Amino acid sequence: MASIEVNTPRQSRGLPTVRQIVESAFPIIVIYVVMATIYSVVQPSALSLYSIESLFNNSLPLMLAAAGATFVILQGGFDLSVAGIISLANVVVAVAPVEGPLGAVANLAMVIAIGLLVGAVNGYVVAYLRIQAIAATLATMIICKGVALLILGAPGGYVSDFMAYELTASIFGAVPIAVVIAVAVMVFWSVFRTTNSGRSLLAVGQDENAAALSGIDVARTRFASFLWAGAFYGAAGYMLAAQTATGNPNGGDPFLLLTFAAVALGGTAFGGGRGGVTASLFGAATLMLMQKVLFAVGVSSFYTGVIQGAIMILAVLFSAFVQAVTSRRNSL
Amino acid sequence: MQNEKTIASAVAEQEDNRATAKISGEFVTIAAIFGLTFAMILASRAISPSFGSWSQVETILYLSSFLVFCAFGQGLVILVRGLDLSIASVITLGGVLTASLMNGSNEGFLYLVPAILGACIVVGLISGIGVAYFRVPPFIMTMAVGLIVYSLCLGFTRGTPRGYPAPLLSGFMQDKFLGVPAPVYLLLAFVVFGTILQSYSVFGRKLNAVGNNPLAAYIAGLPSGVLIVSAYAMSALCAGFTGMMLAGYANGATLRMGDSYLLPSIAAVVVGGSSILGGQGNFVGTVGGALLLTALATILTALGIEQGWKTIMEGGVILFALIALREQSFAFLREVLGKRG
Repeated sequence: MASIEVNTPRQSRGLPTVRQIVESAFPIIVIYVVMATIYSVVQPSALSLYSIESLFNNSLPLMLAAAGATFVILQGGFDLSVAGIISLANVVVAVAPVEGPLGAVANLAMVIAIGLLVGAVNGYVVAYLRIQAIAATLATMIICKGVALLILGAPGGYVSDFMAYELTASIFGAVPIAVVIAVAVMVFWSVFRTTNSGRSLLAVGQDENAAALSGIDVARTRFASFLWAGAFYGAAGYMLAAQTATGNPNGGDPFLLLTFAAVALGGTAFGGGRGGVTASLFGAATLMLMQKVLFAVGVSSFYTGVIQGAIMILAVLFSAFVQAVTSRRNSL
Repeated sequence: MQNEKTIASAVAEQEDNRATAKISGEFVTIAAIFGLTFAMILASRAISPSFGSWSQVETILYLSSFLVFCAFGQGLVILVRGLDLSIASVITLGGVLTASLMNGSNEGFLYLVPAILGACIVVGLISGIGVAYFRVPPFIMTMAVGLIVYSLCLGFTRGTPRGYPAPLLSGFMQDKFLGVPAPVYLLLAFVVFGTILQSYSVFGRKLNAVGNNPLAAYIAGLPSGVLIVSAYAMSALCAGFTGMMLAGYANGATLRMGDSYLLPSIAAVVVGGSSILGGQGNFVGTVGGALLLTALATILTALGIEQGWKTIMEGGVILFALIALREQSFAFLREVLGKRG
């Protein structure tokens, strides 16, 4: 417990240590581990590679979406376009599948380009035209959904075999690729937050005026956060397509609220300045694991929502409590 | 000569903006959004003569009333720097309780209405207490409460809501008075009541103060916690009322009846010129936003265009309204007009 120093600024460069990664998301990792333990006790078969694989394959799209949303939320913004971009990316991959590993890369490039494009529109409208983020991204989300419907009027299409089978499998028959991707994102974030861009992001979220006075280009930082978010949403739609092996013009809808629930569960403050991508990844993983646990424990499917809602509130309270305790200890 | 400029001539040279300065940006936004709605209805006439008729205006007013009811509550919550995502579930709760408890009879109508709305208020109280006293972010609190309420509705109805609203209620929704649907009068009364409550009553002024600057409001001795909780309670009351009216309109309830009102309720408030950051907002603007969204959806549906294009146009109009109705746009317009005058 003595190793928690959430608010200590880090000067280190290069690859982060495991400790650095864990520290930034301590409370939610505790919640996740507790829940995973309960799950493996209630359902011993959960520890088989197949179950772990399917659990992470199910969770990865939400984890990527939450990671993307975190960039925007950290600078004090909001991004509802997540649902639209995921739907759009999902149908594009299903309508224009390219076979083989290189094809998978080509498909990935397509969806990231789409994400960046929509992100650029969001960023321009919010950062430079100064339209309220929640309203502007609501509009772009609706437009993206419309475009997705035009591309694919009803669920259908298929994705390349490589995406459907290889990307949802495991490396060396032991480590699910979904886990590898999640860890890569965590490492990326640990490096990113020590860069100038990363520091600017948090600085703008903490105090826009102070950030501007210390020479940070606030509008550009905001703009960039929407680009990162768009790229991650595109990747989320891509992994959703890989997991479902099909396209759905409404596939992104369930992500709208879940993404923000995951970010909030991770302890990232709405309004900006505090939190991180790693915490959001665990927040998303916790939400998905929670559904499995409730099913395994045997809660009537009618009432799972009651417990999910209650756990979400309790988890946020727990995160806030841990943060209050650690910040008090740090200030002593 | 230049040095001998008199005060009078200096004053005279100053831009005379007395007429325009009196018009606040808020007023212009509201006027513009009503203008845009009106223009859209008129323009639809060019496409088909059956559009833009009085009966179509009536329909738009009728259909927009549901959105206006729940957007009022959403607006109050946004005013105190919150957001209410439980609206969809509370609408469903109101509708489901109305159908199942009234069960197609007028018996007990007078005590069932307050009982159902009371149940909805309890939901709002829980959200409000979580936000105001336990400091749970509004987004997560109202979403979790919404999830819980929806799940309870699901369990309570075993997946299929049954029953019908009281004939008194469904009759009212179909009634006409002086040739105009009765709910339109209700809408007008609600708009007057809501505007007074939000902008001119002591309660509304206090909510504005808390939203503008919570710290200043606290120092001024306002009970911020109580005010925030009451905003959420009002929102739940409005959502429950919307659900009740919807059940009367559709003569029954479904579990997903509230879904199509959540995002539009936020959009109506923001398009109407309120700040999502709280402390600034006007109910008349929200009404304009709701009318604009409803008119757009009604016209696009009547045109029978493809769902994808319809969706794109809806998003496009929201984006256009947001960009065009900014105060900066009006400042620019005022400058141009001022120079010409």
